[in-house]
Amino acid sequence: MITFLLQTATGFSRLYITTAWGKKINSVFGGYDTSLLIHKWVGVVMMVGFVIHTVYLLTRINWRTPMKSIFGEDSLVPNLADLKQFGQRILWFFGLGSHPRFSRWTYWEKFDYWAVYWGLPLLAITGVMMMYPLVTSRFLPGWSLNIAALLHRAEAILAVTYIFIVHFFIGHLRPSSFPMNEAMFSGSVPLKEAIEEKPAWVESLQNTGRLNEVSAAAPVLWYRVVYFVFGYAALIFGVYLLINGIMYARQVSLH
Amino acid sequence: MARAPAVLRILVILTALAAGGILLLPPSASAQEEVASAIRRYKDRETSTGYYEEHEVRPRRQRPFVEIPGVQVGLFPYSPSAAQVRNRSRLADSHMGIAFYTDKTCVACHPEQAKDIHTVRGNLTCRQCHGGEPIASIQYFHSPMNPIRKHAYVCAKCHEGSSASFASYIIHEPAPGSVAARKSFPTLYLVYWFMTVLLVGTLAFFIPHSFLTGVRELFTRKKEAKNDADTTH
Repeated sequence: MITFLLQTATGFSRLYITTAWGKKINSVFGGYDTSLLIHKWVGVVMMVGFVIHTVYLLTRINWRTPMKSIFGEDSLVPNLADLKQFGQRILWFFGLGSHPRFSRWTYWEKFDYWAVYWGLPLLAITGVMMMYPLVTSRFLPGWSLNIAALLHRAEAILAVTYIFIVHFFIGHLRPSSFPMNEAMFSGSVPLKEAIEEKPAWVESLQNTGRLNEVSAAAPVLWYRVVYFVFGYAALIFGVYLLINGIMYARQVSLH
Repeated sequence: MARAPAVLRILVILTALAAGGILLLPPSASAQEEVASAIRRYKDRETSTGYYEEHEVRPRRQRPFVEIPGVQVGLFPYSPSAAQVRNRSRLADSHMGIAFYTDKTCVACHPEQAKDIHTVRGNLTCRQCHGGEPIASIQYFHSPMNPIRKHAYVCAKCHEGSSASFASYIIHEPAPGSVAARKSFPTLYLVYWFMTVLLVGTLAFFIPHSFLTGVRELFTRKKEAKNDADTTH
C-alpha cells in the first residue's frame, strides 16, 4: 500500500508538473529529479516484492498434485465456476435469482489479483527500459522507448483509477464490508462474515475438518485502531490524488 | 551408454553459459561514430561489399529531382520544378524561399512539434537540437540531423554514449491516438487504443458492477449468526 501510494504520488507529480497542483505535490518530493529518484527506488522495492511473492506462490503449490493445487478451490486461477457465479450474481442484482455461494475467492477478487499480477511486471519492464535507455536501445530499437513511456503511463492510470474507484468501494466501502475489510491487516476474517460471504468455503473447511485448524485469534484493539487510521488515511490520500488528477487532466500539455 | 547423460549435462551447461555470455557482449553499434544505416552499422565491420546505399553518395548542390509515383500535376508527374509545394527533405536550407521567413517563429508553422517531452519537460528550444540558420533538411547529406550521425552530433550532447538505435527514438511523437500516428507510428497508435479500450472497458464494467452491488446489498437483511461466531476469526 505504501509503495503503491508513493508511486502514484511521485508519478502523478511528474505527469502533472506543468499544472499548479503538480508543482505543489512535486515540491513535497523535492522537485522533478528527486521525485524520479524516489519513484525508481520504490519501484525497485515493488519489483523485489513481486519476485518474493512469486517464489511464495511456488511454495504454496502442492507439487504432488499440481493440477489439483493450481486449479482447485483455494486457487486464484479463474475457472468456469467463476463464470457461473458471475451470471448468478447479475441475476441477483435485479432480484431474479438467489445469491451465488462463493468459495474462497470471488470472481472480482480474482480479477483484482490478476490485474496487479500482470500490471506490475508491465510497469516494471517499461520502467526499467526507461531507467536504462541506452542499454535498452542495444537490444531494441530506440522507438520502443516511445512505446514503453506510453505503456507505463497508460497502465499506471488504469491501475490508479481501478484501485481508487472500484477496489476501494467493492473491497471496503460497500454496505456489507463497511467500514473496512480488515483481512489485509488482521490476516483473518471473522467467521460470521465468512459464513455470509463465502459459505461454500466455510462448508468445505468444515467437511474436511480443517475449520479449527485455520481459525485464528481476533486482532487486538490497539492494532485495529492503528490500521483503521492508516487505512482511512490511505483512502483519503488516494481519493485526493484521483480527484485532482481528473480535475487537472485537461491542463497537462503533453501528447 | 552411461556416458550419454554426462555429455548431455555438459552440453546444457555450455548452452547456459553461452546464453549468459551473449548478455555480456559489447554493444552491436559503437556510439559516437557515423553509421551508414540508421538501423545497423554499415555491415558491422565496414567491409566493402561493393555497393553503396543512396545517402553515402554526396549529393550535388541542386534541388533534388523528386517524383511521387501516382501524383501528377496536370499532364506531368510531380516534380520539384512543377510542384507548388516542394519536397524539402534533402535541402541544405530547408526553409529556402519561404516568404517572410525571418519574421516567423518555429512554432508558428510547426505547432505540433512543440508538444513532446523534450520541449515541454526538458525545456529545450528548437535551436538547441536543430541549430542556427540555415537549418538543413533532415536527409541533407551534411546535416548534423542526418540519421547517419544524429546520435553522435545531436543526441549525445545530453545522452552521453547514444547509439544510432537510441537515436531512432521518436522525439516529435504524434498524438498517440491520432490519425497521423496511425500513418507514421502505427505501433504507438495500436498500443494507445488497446490501453484506452482496456481502461474504458474495465471501468465501464466494474463501476456499474460496484454500484449494483452496493444498491443490492442495501436491500439485503443480514442473517443473524450464532453468538459464538461473533468474535471468532
